[in-house]
Formats: sequence, C-alpha cells, structure tokens
Amino acid sequence: MQILGSDAVLYGGVQPAGLSKERRLTISVCQTGVAMEVQGYGMTQNNTTPVAGHFKRNPPIAGEADALERAKNGDPDAFSKLYALHKRRVYTLCLRMLGNVSEAEDMTQEAFLHLYRKLGSFRGESAFSTWLHRLTVNLVLMHLRKKGLQLVSLEETINPSEEDAPKRDFGSRDPRLSGSVDRVALERAVATLPPGYRLVFVLHDVEGYEHNEIAEMLECSTGNSKSQLHKARLKLREILRQNEHAALVQESK
Amino acid sequence: MPEHDEKRWTCEEFEKALPELFERAEGGKLSADPRFAEILRDCPQAAELVRDLEYIAETARMLLEPEGEGPSSDLWGKIEREITSKDSIQ
Repeated sequence: MQILGSDAVLYGGVQPAGLSKERRLTISVCQTGVAMEVQGYGMTQNNTTPVAGHFKRNPPIAGEADALERAKNGDPDAFSKLYALHKRRVYTLCLRMLGNVSEAEDMTQEAFLHLYRKLGSFRGESAFSTWLHRLTVNLVLMHLRKKGLQLVSLEETINPSEEDAPKRDFGSRDPRLSGSVDRVALERAVATLPPGYRLVFVLHDVEGYEHNEIAEMLECSTGNSKSQLHKARLKLREILRQNEHAALVQESK
Repeated sequence: MPEHDEKRWTCEEFEKALPELFERAEGGKLSADPRFAEILRDCPQAAELVRDLEYIAETARMLLEPEGEGPSSDLWGKIEREITSKDSIQ
C-alpha cells in the first residue's frame, strides 16, 4: 500500500490547475493483487465523454438549470436550491457506499462544500447530477482509503474475506427468489454486503456506471469489476433467500 | 471459455462465464438472448440463477431515486457556516 501526494484532494473529480498528475493518491486495493490507483481527479470536464446512459438515468430536474446558473454567479439562495434538489441522492449515495449514517452525513457536507468551490468548472458536458455524483463517489473513495489506512488494511476493507464470499457449488439446486423482493428488502440486503461488493454493486447496478468507469475509479481491470459485481449479486441472492426463508419460518410459527 | 455461438456449453462453463455474459447481453438481460435459450433450457439451475440475478439487477435500478431519510435538517446550516467562514477568510 503506497501513498503518493497524500495532500491530493478530490476537487469534484476536476483536476485543479497546477496540480500535476503525479500528485495523486495511489493505493493497492485490487483483489487480484494488481496495484490499483484511485485517482483523485479522474473525471474532468475537458476529457470526459458524457455517458449517454447517465443522461437517461439523470434527467434534468425542474429548476436546476436556473439555480445552477445563478449559483455560478454567486447567488447563495441558488446554491441552497441546488442543495435542496440533490441532498437526498448525494446522502443516499454516501450512505450506500459507506454503510454508516454519521460518515454519510460528513461526506454529504464535504461533497457540497467541494461543489461550492468547483461549481464554476461545471460546463454542462454531462448531466449536473452525473457530475455531482462522480464528485461524491471520488470523495467517498478517498475517504475510504484514508479510513483504511487508519483502521484496517484497505485490501480487507475492499475485498471480502472467504467467509463473506458467496457460497455456491456449480450445479447445485438453490431455491429461487420468490419474485416479491421489494426495494426495501434489497436496500437492507445491500447494506449488509461486504464493503468491496457493496461499492461495485452500488456504482454499477444502482448508479449506472459502466465497468470501464468503475475500473478507472478503482484502478482495477474491468474483468475484476465484472467479477466483483457478479459476486455481489450472488451474495445478495444468498442474503435475500435467507431472509425469505426466515420470514417463512416466522410465519409458520 | 467456449464461444457461445459456436460450441455447446456445459452448465458449469456457462455459470462460470456469467460475469462476462451478463456484461455482453443487451440490457444485461441474458434470459432474453436467443443464443442462450438452449443452455438455459438444458440447465434449469443455471436458468434460475440467471433469473434471480437479473431480477436483483432490475430491482437495484429502482434504488437510484431514494425513498429513505435524507441528511439531518441541520446539515445545511453546517455547510452554510463553512462556506461563510471560508468566504470571509478569502
């Protein structure tokens, strides 16, 4: 595990002028043992091709464009409006990635403070919410790396242990899901996923990032991202089936 | 990994290849791809697995719009104070 330029800060995924690419935080987190660099400013408005899927999934919100323009011109009420429009999604994204209410709140605060400082660099080449979410994701990843350094090795944080890995024998007959899994049940199950699985699942299946984008963010191979996602879905299936079984047992009592 | 449109898969090969196959499938919907109809028919446990994983992925899309609690009501006040204090320093 290696840190280069520990003062590197995620400026909303926008590389600040004068901050060289070498001054980035580098850390090994790849499950396959391949060193992954999480770049603090992986998304710039200059070199990022907007992803069509993100426009579809993040359509403009009524009143957002006007508030955005006014906030760029320093109108504090307009920034307050942007906060009101996006606070729940930013907070929920933080909560899903971190699994901790207090940390999610802190990162929401950080995200909006970064947004305030970097709003002028948003040029509308992607949906605003897509840009804001990428800023948030970068901040959370940076936070996780810092936390990993202080608490446990990041490899443990990102990569689940064998115990946490989904258990599956090829060819085994598993009871299928009932088809009545609702968003609340899934949300609860996602919250119990090991952090590494949860990150990739939330980024891909919920937020709609492509594997190549996730691989870029986590600096691992797209194959690793696909594999982590598959394991996350298998683990969710296992958790959901266990929950369904427990509910059935409870009902039969 | 056999090419799915050239060779026959075993159930195990098919399940092992699922991470890649899901990525290639149109809309992530492997079960709707006619190229896999035969293997899914021949491997009922793999078919159930595919069905469940597709279902999980579909349900996950509903999570994008949050329904739960937002941040605490005093968070905006904290952000505002930070902005004001930093603006006054600059």
